[in-house]
Amino acid sequence: MSDAWTRKLRAVHGLMMVNGFIPLHRRPLALVAILSTPFSFLFFIYIFGHAQALLAGCIGGLIFTVINSATMLQSDLLFFKIDLKFQQIAVSSGISPLNYVIGMASGNMLFMLPGLVFFMTMIVYLTPLTVIAGIMIVATVLVTWLMFSLISYLISTRIREMKDIWPVSVIFSILFAVIPPIYYSVESLPLPYRYVAYAVPTTFSALIIKNSVSLNLAGALIYFAIFAAEAAAVIIITYLFADWRTGRS
Amino acid sequence: MPDPIVVSELSKSYVNGSRSTVALDSFSFRGNRNMILSLLGRNGSGKTTFAKIATTQLMPDSGDVYLNGTSVIDEPEEIRATISLVPQEGRPFGHLTPREHVYYYQRMIGETREKASTITEMIIEELDIESFQNTQCVNLSGGQKQTTMLAMALSKDAETYFLDEPTIGLDVITRKRVWEVIERIRRERKMVILTTHYLDEASVLSDEICIVSHGRLVSQGTLNDLRSRLGHDTRIRFSTRVDEKIVSSMGTLVDDEKGQILLTESGNVEEVLKTVGYMNGRIEIGPVGLDDVFVSMVGEDIDE
Repeated sequence: MSDAWTRKLRAVHGLMMVNGFIPLHRRPLALVAILSTPFSFLFFIYIFGHAQALLAGCIGGLIFTVINSATMLQSDLLFFKIDLKFQQIAVSSGISPLNYVIGMASGNMLFMLPGLVFFMTMIVYLTPLTVIAGIMIVATVLVTWLMFSLISYLISTRIREMKDIWPVSVIFSILFAVIPPIYYSVESLPLPYRYVAYAVPTTFSALIIKNSVSLNLAGALIYFAIFAAEAAAVIIITYLFADWRTGRS
Repeated sequence: MPDPIVVSELSKSYVNGSRSTVALDSFSFRGNRNMILSLLGRNGSGKTTFAKIATTQLMPDSGDVYLNGTSVIDEPEEIRATISLVPQEGRPFGHLTPREHVYYYQRMIGETREKASTITEMIIEELDIESFQNTQCVNLSGGQKQTTMLAMALSKDAETYFLDEPTIGLDVITRKRVWEVIERIRRERKMVILTTHYLDEASVLSDEICIVSHGRLVSQGTLNDLRSRLGHDTRIRFSTRVDEKIVSSMGTLVDDEKGQILLTESGNVEEVLKTVGYMNGRIEIGPVGLDDVFVSMVGEDIDE
């Protein structure tokens, strides 16, 4: 591995420790916070829908956990930027924005890992999952994590007041995790709303996972292609509009 | 060999709706050797805007900054490899210890575990922070937190260190400890750009001082240069008001918060005292200081 790549990995590792492992070890309460909503939803789904609805609850929970982690990332990035002025140090130290966001998001991933493991285990237990379908689900979770981490980064670079992130985070969570059809079928939406749902990337995350567990791999692959295109669009938009330099422009 | 720092016609305005605020207005100066160069100015004078541009965080409207001949506008990546920053009002991570700050910062800038550990040990010893190196920063005093920020910045082997008001809010003893740290960088013959509005700090630490007001350079030089440019070597402070007409021929009379100050020559002191009268309130006589230079050049008093 080249020296440049090794240095990048060290940067990611350093940020992952600072934003993930050390706070997880010393402030474990955030772990409970990040898992509380998807587990609460699972609880209610089980109460009202019984065992038949458990799979839908686990698929939704898997995606919700990723979105929760991205929401937490927005606050972390903004706290580092506005309160600690750490983004100024990162910029002037030559830490690249990509390494920064991947490092910070990897730190947050540690908080979502127990939730992911739980929901994945439940999905494996509840369905006749094949290895390929399992790989599809893991890939979908990873692309969802990357896509929403980038969106969170983009949002955090455009906000200049800590207080402004709170309404944004709530709206973010509702738009990408609560309302879209991740716990229910997109077909249950009436037609005009269904088109709106298709514009939301988490709809495709859910469609890929649902098709994977029902072993409709062709369908899952088609949705994955659309999802990957959406991810590419997010990468381009983030590259064009994120304001890595922290000064007022 | 290029100068360590050349600031050329730097201008920057902030636009907020229909209102535009000029932060820097054709701001220029040059540092021709490695030293501690202080930018002294009131709040809002443009010091931090300059620091942000010079550390590649902000683009100017026009002009450029060259560090050792490299443009911060054209080659920001090269610049970032050679600078280190303590940002204004920067704070350490509450859940990390000072040791972890230095170590993980070293990892973030790409150092190996072994090198990061070695540098961490060295900095902790040099800054004498062994006693609180393993305490989470949330439990440290303001001075210890600021020392942690400095430790992180100093752990980078940079050519130019930008310290943006590094002692703001610190008590006198802690400030002096921070000064010792800054002087250590000077001993290593590195360039330190120190922005401050503490006159005593600029007096004690600086090899050269740039006085900044309303985004422009008012004057640059050593403390003695600035004093000599003032044209007076002695200050006489009056606790009661004196008649300007009586003393105006003997020097420059300026107002300050405790009364009035006459900046004059040492040879005029006796004549001033005879003219004003020895019993005219409390009178203090001393050499001209940086505060007199500053008030005289900028026209208003500053925070301390």
